[in-house]
Formats: sequence, C-alpha cells, structure tokens
Amino acid sequence: MMLRYFLALSVAIGTLGFANAAAPDCSRPYTLALHDHGLLYSADTDTGIDKDVAVELIRRSGCKVTVSLMPRARIWQLIESGALDFSLSGITDAERDKYAAFAWYFSDKYYLLVRKDTAVRHLADFERNEKFRLGVIRGFRYSETANHLVDKLQEANRVSKAGGLDPLYQTLMLNLIQGMIIEPFDYPTLEEKRIREATVIIEFADPPVPHGLIMSKKALAQAEQEKWRSLVDGMRADGSMRRIFEKYFKPELAATMVDF
Amino acid sequence: MPATHKPGAAARSFPLHWLILAITLGVSWLAWDHERQTSSKALRSQFDFAVHDTVSRVEQRMDAYVQMLRGVQGLLAITGTSDRSALRDYVHTLGLDANFSGIQAIGIVEWTPAQRKNAHVAAMRRRGFADYVIRPAGERDAYAPIIQREPYVGRNTAAPGFDPWSDPVRRLAMEKARDSGMAAISGQIRLVVDEDRDASPGFIMYLPIFVRGQPHENVAERRAQLVGWIYAAFHMSDFMASLYGTQTPGLSLSIFDDVVPSDAALLYRTAANAAVHPGMAGFAMNANEYLVVAGHTWTLSMSALKEFETRFGHNAETAIIVAGTWLSLMLSLLVWLIGTGRARALRLAAAMTEELQHMAKHDALTELPNRALFSDRLNNELARAKRHGDHFAVIFLDLDNFKPINDSFGHAVGDLLLQQVARRLQDAIRASDTVGRMGGDEFVVLMPELLGTDAALGLAEKIRQAMRQTFLVHGHELVISCSLGVAVFPEDGTDEITLTKNADEAMYRAKNSGRDNVRLAASSNNG
Repeated sequence: MMLRYFLALSVAIGTLGFANAAAPDCSRPYTLALHDHGLLYSADTDTGIDKDVAVELIRRSGCKVTVSLMPRARIWQLIESGALDFSLSGITDAERDKYAAFAWYFSDKYYLLVRKDTAVRHLADFERNEKFRLGVIRGFRYSETANHLVDKLQEANRVSKAGGLDPLYQTLMLNLIQGMIIEPFDYPTLEEKRIREATVIIEFADPPVPHGLIMSKKALAQAEQEKWRSLVDGMRADGSMRRIFEKYFKPELAATMVDF
Repeated sequence: MPATHKPGAAARSFPLHWLILAITLGVSWLAWDHERQTSSKALRSQFDFAVHDTVSRVEQRMDAYVQMLRGVQGLLAITGTSDRSALRDYVHTLGLDANFSGIQAIGIVEWTPAQRKNAHVAAMRRRGFADYVIRPAGERDAYAPIIQREPYVGRNTAAPGFDPWSDPVRRLAMEKARDSGMAAISGQIRLVVDEDRDASPGFIMYLPIFVRGQPHENVAERRAQLVGWIYAAFHMSDFMASLYGTQTPGLSLSIFDDVVPSDAALLYRTAANAAVHPGMAGFAMNANEYLVVAGHTWTLSMSALKEFETRFGHNAETAIIVAGTWLSLMLSLLVWLIGTGRARALRLAAAMTEELQHMAKHDALTELPNRALFSDRLNNELARAKRHGDHFAVIFLDLDNFKPINDSFGHAVGDLLLQQVARRLQDAIRASDTVGRMGGDEFVVLMPELLGTDAALGLAEKIRQAMRQTFLVHGHELVISCSLGVAVFPEDGTDEITLTKNADEAMYRAKNSGRDNVRLAASSNNG
C-alpha cells in the first residue's frame, strides 16, 4: 500500500518536473488554425474535437494562441511557409514531413462512403464503373489505398473537389457524386440519419492512420516542437484526450481511436 | 512468253514489305499514342492548376473582405451602433476605391425582438427619419432592420428600415454568423438597393456584433448577447472583377450558388462562356469544384476552350503521326524495291532483248525490215513457192538524184526524206508484201503469191508514180524519182542470189536508160 502511494507520488512529481522542464516558450503569441470538418470542428456551432483539444492545449501551454478558421489546403500552405504555427488532426506523408512536425493523439481508419443504389460492395466495383465520381476535399490525403484510388480516378477525371465536407454530402445525396472518403468523425451533426440510410461504408484495407498536432518546422525550433509534443503526450497520458473523444464517440470507439 | 519473274521470289518478298509497314506504322502509332497521353496529362495538370488557382483567388479575395469587415466589427464593438458618424467616417477613411469595388454598401442591421419594435421605431424617428417604418410591414417574432447604409450616396440613400431577417436566404446567413461568431455570406439575392430587376446577382456578408464586455464563447451566449450585424453587400460581377492576379486564358468560368449548376443559381459567368452552353462539344476539359466561402458553398464550373489546348498543348502528335506514316511508307517502299529488284531486272532484260531483236532485224531510220530480215522472208517465200509451184517477184528500187538532196539540204533532211519514202512504199504495196531497206537509198520489195509478171510490173509502176509526187520536208518541196528492177520466180532465178542479182541488174538498166524507169530482169525479157 505504501509502495503504491510512493509510486503514484513519484510519477506525479516526475510528471510535474517533466512538465515544468517542457513548458513552451511563450515570449511570442502563436497562431492555430481550425478547419470546418464534421465532428472535428463545426463553424455553425463553434464546437468540435479540435476546438476542445485546442482549448486544453492552449490552457496547458500558458501561451497566447490566436485561433482562426481556414480551408485545409490553405492551412497546409501556411504551415509550409511558417506563417501559421499549429493546426490539428493532421496526417503526414513524405511531402508534409519536410515542412511539418507532428504530435500524434489519435488514429483511425478511412472508409469509402458510397450510395446504396450504386450496388458497390467492394472498392474495385467503384473503380470499375466509369460513371461513378468520387468526392474529395482539396488538400486532403488519406490512407495508402485510399490515396491510390483518388490518384487513379483523378487521372480519369472522375474526382470532384470541394473546400469542405458539406458540399460533398450535398452532392452525394443529389447523386452528383457516388462516393466519398470519410473518417468516423466525418458524419455531419445534421442529416446524419438520412445519409446513413442512403449509404454503405467500405473499409480501406490499410492500418489505422495516426492524426496529430501539426507544427510548422519553419516557425518552431526542434526543441520547441518537443515541448509542445510533450504537452500532447501529457493529455493522452492523463486521460483528458480520451475524455474529449468520449464527448463525440461511443466509449469503445473513442478508446480504439486514442489508444494506439 | 519471256520469263519476266520467278513466282517464288515474289512470294518471299510480298509479306516482308507489308510486315515492315505494319511494324513501322505500329511503332509510329505507339509513339503518337504516348505523346498524346503525355500531352493530355500535361494539359490536364495545367487545367487542374488553373482551377486550383482560381479557387485560391476567390477564397483569398473573400478573406480580404472578411478582414475589412472585421475592422468595422471592431469599431462598432467599441462605439456601439447608435453613433452614425462612426461608421460613416470609417467607411470614408476606407475610401471604397477600386480595391473594394466589389462592395456596394456597408451597413448596420439592428437586432429587434418584437417587444422592442416600438422603441426601435421611435428611436429611429428621433434620429431624423420621420417616416421610418420597418419593411416589409407586418407583425413578426423578431426584426433585424437596416439602420444605416454607407457610403451615403446614390442608391445607398434609399430609406432605412428594410428587414433582411424576413428573407429566408438572408436570415440563414445571419443565423450562421450569429451562432458561429464568424463571417457568413448569403445565397444568391437581388440587392435591395437594386431597383432594376435585371441587376447583376449579389450576395451579402454578415458579421455579428455582440454586447461589449460580455462573453460570447458559445452559441447560447452569442444568441443572448446579440446586438445586430454589420454587413457588406456585393454584386457578384464586381466581386469577380476585383480578384487578385489574372485569369488563365482559354478558360471559361461560371460560378453557381450552392451545389447544383442551374441557370437560376448562376452568380457569374465569364464572357467567353456566355455564348456557349456548358458541356457542349468543343470543350476538351471541364471540372466542377465546390468552394466553401465564408460558410457558404459555391460551385465553380470551369471549362477549357480550344484556345487553352492550343496555347498549352504540345501539338507534337500530328507531327509524329505524319512523319511516322511517311517514314513507314518510305521504308516499306525501299524494302519492296530491294525485294522485287531481281524480278524487275529480269523483266527489263527481256524487254531489252526484245528491243535488241527488233533492232537486229529492222532498219533504225525507217523501221523497215533490214537486209537480214528481208533475206529470211525471201527464203521462206522461196521454199513456199517451190512447194506450191507459185510465182513471186523481187523488186529493187534506187532513188534517183538522192545524193544532191543530201548534199544541199543536209543529212537531217535526207533522213526525213528516206522516212517519207519508206511510208509511201508501205502505202503502195499490198498487206502481204514486204518492203525492206538494203542501205543508203536502196529499197527492195518482196511480192509473194504473184499471179504473173504483169502484176509485178504494175506494182513497180505504181511505186514509181508514187515517188514522183512532191515530198514536203522541213518546208522544202523536194521532187525525186526512182529506178526499179523487177525479177520474177522462177523465171529470173530459183535462189536468193540469182533473183537479187537479176533484179539489181534490171534496176541498173533502168537507171542507165535515163532513170525514173521500170525494167524487167533480162531472163524474163528473153523468156
């Protein structure tokens, strides 16, 4: 019993000491951009996972961080140029690795959301029918197989691009596109039932893709990146990240997303 | 029949050049197809870039207007909405010049729940708008009338009081702005200040104003602390004209409200596109992209016109296929020439042999049988006449006074005269007769199947008469005559040598007796 208390105490002290050592440099204000995307962030309600993560991260950092809303493609441009410090729920690829650092906090799988009336049951079915169009968000990358599908259809001029999820759901329901690539948090709060009824989901056979805090390498030195990364790790370690996800998902799904 | 070619050689060469043609044409096609795909890919990425660029320019311009309106929002958060000079001065300072040419008006909308309506109207009348009413009239739960519109010139001086909350399209954007605390734009509308029904489509951007010093961190707080909205009204055509950068040439662009591109939802269309219905043939590429600008969706529809393809395409495909086909044909022709060379050489040799054979038996100048061929025919006739006991005649002919013509007019004229003489001889004789040239101005006629000596003399006389007719050579009228000697088989000889010797001797006698004469061989005379 004593031993357990002792351990808990040393972990607490250790964490405290670590946290103090890792406090980011707050000598300048920072910028963080959100993008309107399903449960990650909804401008209509000014709520979402990313907003909650941002609030908690900013609170822990003790820094002044200005939060704004931008299209995802613009966020990547500004991260690359160093004009923007942070964004959230980003995934990486070889290109992004060059200009962005990440602090992972959840991982999930990608799915092809496809209209029931297309009779598509496998990924290959969708690719085969030349009439089917796929909707994607400009600037988005997905898991490997999904990216491959997007690139192939793009070559065949079968991809419709959009600046956000809303027009994709609208065009899907209007049958202007027949499929789109989604993540679990992509269902809109409105119309969710109607969309679920009219569609089926097909899982991409890729491992879950980690998502995290995006940090501009140009704006933040390596040492600073480490400090912000340890803040995110702290949120995961003490369960606050899981609590944020449990606000939006069933506990089991939240658990599989944040424990990876 | 001469052996012109060997069938086996032809059979071997036949498939080879066709095979070469098929292969080279195939290679040309592959090169063409590859170039076409590369070119089309490059064009496609150029087009994608142009679409992306246009989307960025629209988004950035919208951002610039949002920033400007945020300035107004910040001002009103401090001054409140009742100080009319604050907004007026601010807008004046902005100097809505060409940089902001998209904006028709900047104004303030006051949030007025039903219970505050009368107080609101009274306050507005106190401010100097004696006839102030909220339009459209009627009782509603809440109102959001326009209380100020700047710059206060021209159409913007129209009376305040219009309630945009009463219009579902405007209200949607106002609610969105209020709940999110951010800028939101309306769908396609006709601006209130536009009295003209055909006015360019417009939209309105709203930003909420909240009570100063009160928290508005969530939807509930924002709804509770709402004072009104600051708005900017735009004509879509002006908005598009104010974009930064330049539009890639050769593209037509349309922008539609929401996600369905229909005529009713058309916000903007480039001039190039105005005349052509989208999706018509002649468009190489087109794409629809859905922009989310200030919380609202626009469909940007872009098509590449022929001009775009001409400007950015490689256009090497045509050169490749033309040059490829030409080279393929040339190569196949070369192979065909090599493959069929032997056959054609044999054919050529046969033709040349034939010609040589003809030359060996005919006189080159007159084309008449020469001495050798005549001798052949004479011997054939000898054998035949001996077998059947027939008669035939040999007539020797020598032109009189030919040498002086040659001397005075030249050999060319002499040769032409000899050709005419040959033709006249051929005209004079029967079809079964043979006339040959012995050389110089000496000719000889073989008359087979002769009825009698008289017939032979008759023909000789006919020839003599014919020769006396004037010849026309190179404009010279030439008069000549001839001396003829006739020998008849078997009377004047039963072999070639005797017959020709006797005819020759008779011809000399004719010459000696004053020329232009016919003489029968001596033996016949004796007979």
